[in-house]
Amino acid sequence: MNNAEQIKETIARIFPDVETVICYQQGFDGLHATPYFISIPEQVNKLIWNPLCAQNLTSYLPSIKKKVGIVVKGCDSRTIIQYLQEGLIDRAKVVIIGVPCTGVISVKKVLREIGHQPVVDVVFDDNGNIVVKTQKGEKRLAIADVCPDKCTTCQYPTPLVYDHLIGEPIASNKPKEDVYKDIREFDAKTLEEKRAYWEKEFERCIRCYACRNACPMCICQDSCIAETREPHWISQRLSLQEKFMFHMIHAAHLAGRCVECGECERVCPMDIPVAKLKKKINAEMKELFNYETGVNPDDKPPMYTFNVDEAKIKEHKL
Amino acid sequence: MSGVAGKELRIVGFLCNWCSYGGADTAGVARFKQPTDLRIIRVPCSGRVDPLFVVKALLTGADGVLVSGCHPRDCHYTDGNFYARRRLEMLKRLLPFIGIDEKRFHYTWVSASEGQKWQQVVTDFTNQVHKLGPMHAKKESEG
Amino acid sequence: MSDTGYLPKEKIKDFLKELAKDAVVYAPCLEGDIVLFRPFSEERTLCLDRPANTPPKSVIYPQSETLFAFQYKKAPEDHQKMSVELKADIGVPNMVIFGARPCDAKGFRIYDRVFIETNTPDPYYRKRRENTLIVTLSCAAPSPGCFCVAVGGGPAHKEGSDVMMTELEGGYVIEPVTEKGRAILGKHVIEDGKPYLKDAQHVQAKAHDEVRNPFAPDELPKISQSLFNFDGFWEQVVGKCVSCGACTYLCPTCYCFNITDEQGIGSGERVRSWDACMFFHFTLEASGHNPRPTKFQRFKNRVGHKFIYYPEKYEGVIACCGCGRCIRYCPVNVDISEIVNYLKDTHQELHWASSRKEGTQPTVGSTKDE
Ligand code: SF4
Ligand code: SF4
Ligand code: SF4
Ligand code: SF4
Ligand code: FES
Repeated sequence: MNNAEQIKETIARIFPDVETVICYQQGFDGLHATPYFISIPEQVNKLIWNPLCAQNLTSYLPSIKKKVGIVVKGCDSRTIIQYLQEGLIDRAKVVIIGVPCTGVISVKKVLREIGHQPVVDVVFDDNGNIVVKTQKGEKRLAIADVCPDKCTTCQYPTPLVYDHLIGEPIASNKPKEDVYKDIREFDAKTLEEKRAYWEKEFERCIRCYACRNACPMCICQDSCIAETREPHWISQRLSLQEKFMFHMIHAAHLAGRCVECGECERVCPMDIPVAKLKKKINAEMKELFNYETGVNPDDKPPMYTFNVDEAKIKEHKL
Repeated sequence: MSGVAGKELRIVGFLCNWCSYGGADTAGVARFKQPTDLRIIRVPCSGRVDPLFVVKALLTGADGVLVSGCHPRDCHYTDGNFYARRRLEMLKRLLPFIGIDEKRFHYTWVSASEGQKWQQVVTDFTNQVHKLGPMHAKKESEG
Repeated sequence: MSDTGYLPKEKIKDFLKELAKDAVVYAPCLEGDIVLFRPFSEERTLCLDRPANTPPKSVIYPQSETLFAFQYKKAPEDHQKMSVELKADIGVPNMVIFGARPCDAKGFRIYDRVFIETNTPDPYYRKRRENTLIVTLSCAAPSPGCFCVAVGGGPAHKEGSDVMMTELEGGYVIEPVTEKGRAILGKHVIEDGKPYLKDAQHVQAKAHDEVRNPFAPDELPKISQSLFNFDGFWEQVVGKCVSCGACTYLCPTCYCFNITDEQGIGSGERVRSWDACMFFHFTLEASGHNPRPTKFQRFKNRVGHKFIYYPEKYEGVIACCGCGRCIRYCPVNVDISEIVNYLKDTHQELHWASSRKEGTQPTVGSTKDE
């Protein structure tokens, strides 16, 4: 029995203990998966499970009051753990169906490969490829070549927390030292290069706030200081300065909280690499406090606590 | 870019009410000579300083930002500066990533009696910022 | 002079340069992997093979613009007395939007009714609109998600354009739509297009047949009021929406704005900027009360405005041009055409209502592909 069938069966079993189950169904075309809220077991026949199911569904959890079931991948499970650290959800009200994951697909990368053609059909073969048919022909792409960046260094393919596990656990085969390699490489650039890089990227930002709203750890949402007039952090002008400020707000508020799910980057219609800023802070949290987000429910986010004597923070000399 | 000799730069200081603001006062009362670029904003505690205050100042025209609170263990509210230390250290490490020289930002601890130390901090930090020159020189700033 | 022109592909840059002599030319340019309207220059890479990620709406209707600047002045004789000085400047250069798609151009017609064809025209919008020439490229094939033919448009629909170009293998056939557009035919690089006109019409017709019509066989979708006003429907269909601004900001027909005073010390600016009905703050009142506190209500407004309120006010015109951007770029794949389809189907209405009676929640899409 394949994973999709097992997930369906598990979902059927957890009703009526849960009122809703959050999983995936096909989106507007074969290349897109979309969240699917099931409220009666019969609905599971529309469920899909394949590497296009990339979205981190856990973002919906804090706003749902009833008991809910949810399908999570390894990376998604880190969000749940982070929620538990911060007391944002009640564990007793979530039934977690964990699915070990071999990597998902970045739709943006596939679209680039197929020249942004409308897709006619999408199938997966048994050798780890996605085959995309368009009017102009067929393209076979190795999933590993079109996965989001996070998958290339994934340390936790098997969910770290679950009630039901689908299939067998998978161990990561990606070297741990590589997780922040991209950050170190970027850090090595000159200040001017880095400044120019961000100015070019942020200039495109239209402040649609999709990155913020899709972010599972951005929990203020409606009262986000990027939009409030009181306090008035940023104006309605469209200058680079306001855009820069908005992204610094998102990054600072995610310090030691970002679970590196990459949603912010996945959803950005302007293709801005916004997860990078938060990943940088995570790299520093690891270095300073040996803290990693979303791996242990008993941890405390580093900005929520302190040590009287900080082993790694030295006084700065002038 | 070389410092602008004789020309004031814009440096913002966030000082906690109980120690560093007192320290600055002590320095003033004792008439210690200090550079005049610093504009002080008094805050209840260094724990009140959101790292984003610093970012906002740097993005909107400040050439340097200084944060100063009570020495660790001396915070009037017991642990405000312990939290501040973590946040400000995070910021210090983030700034270069977005292309802002971390030398434009400094955080330190000065008590109410340390007038002399305050003088030193202000002088040294001002010199450091002058060495870097104005932050927005190349860009039209919004004022 | 013939009524039809022809622009050989290799002359396209010369053509843009010629246009740029007396206007700022905005053209779809490749940036990284996305396509944006940018003031065209030699260094940029023109990209005409797919619609731009953002419509060209910001050229005529900027995301943020200063309506006027103000300055407080103290009277020299009495410092208690203050006066305010205002300065407004609607200086707008001549502009060309090159390579808009028919849906993008039609979008400006949606705005015209609101900003120009009213008793109190908006001088800022009008000035820009009047100073802009819109040179549209007809679509040779549909893009993912688009459905223009279902909402009164089409891949070669001319409404809103000054010139319509149609791509053939070696060049573009140029059909002027307005008087303003005719001037194009006089440009140096434009050749006689009459021999190619038939081919162009063939391309246009073929494209028209390829665009999906989610509302078929209806002429235009008609929405069932009772289902529209049933909250349970909205809760179910937009439960996944994250209430961001992607759909509205990328929409060529969304025009809601906010006006704020951005204060400095003793001076400031009154700024008009895009707003979006999907944002919580859109309807937040000064008292703190918000009549649309949930995303369901906000989404309902988005659909209502496009498919009910606007048509009621403007002779049945639907304020959606079917460009498909909100579908393509939605973080969670909310599909407005799917939702409107539910809303127009009375059979669905019974279905939703009966599932409500049984105490179960209705099954989204249950009549689809079954
Ligand atoms: S999603 Fe992209 S365009 Fe939208 S606010 Fe975030 S960074 Fe800006
Ligand atoms: S900031 Fe981005 S990567 Fe981090 S938790 Fe939020 S959406 Fe995920
Ligand atoms: S429909 Fe999609 S793009 Fe629009 S607000 Fe909802 S999540 Fe954002
Ligand atoms: S509502 Fe969607 S499809 Fe219709 S015009 Fe707007 S963005 Fe395009
Ligand atoms: S009161 Fe001075 S740092 Fe807290």
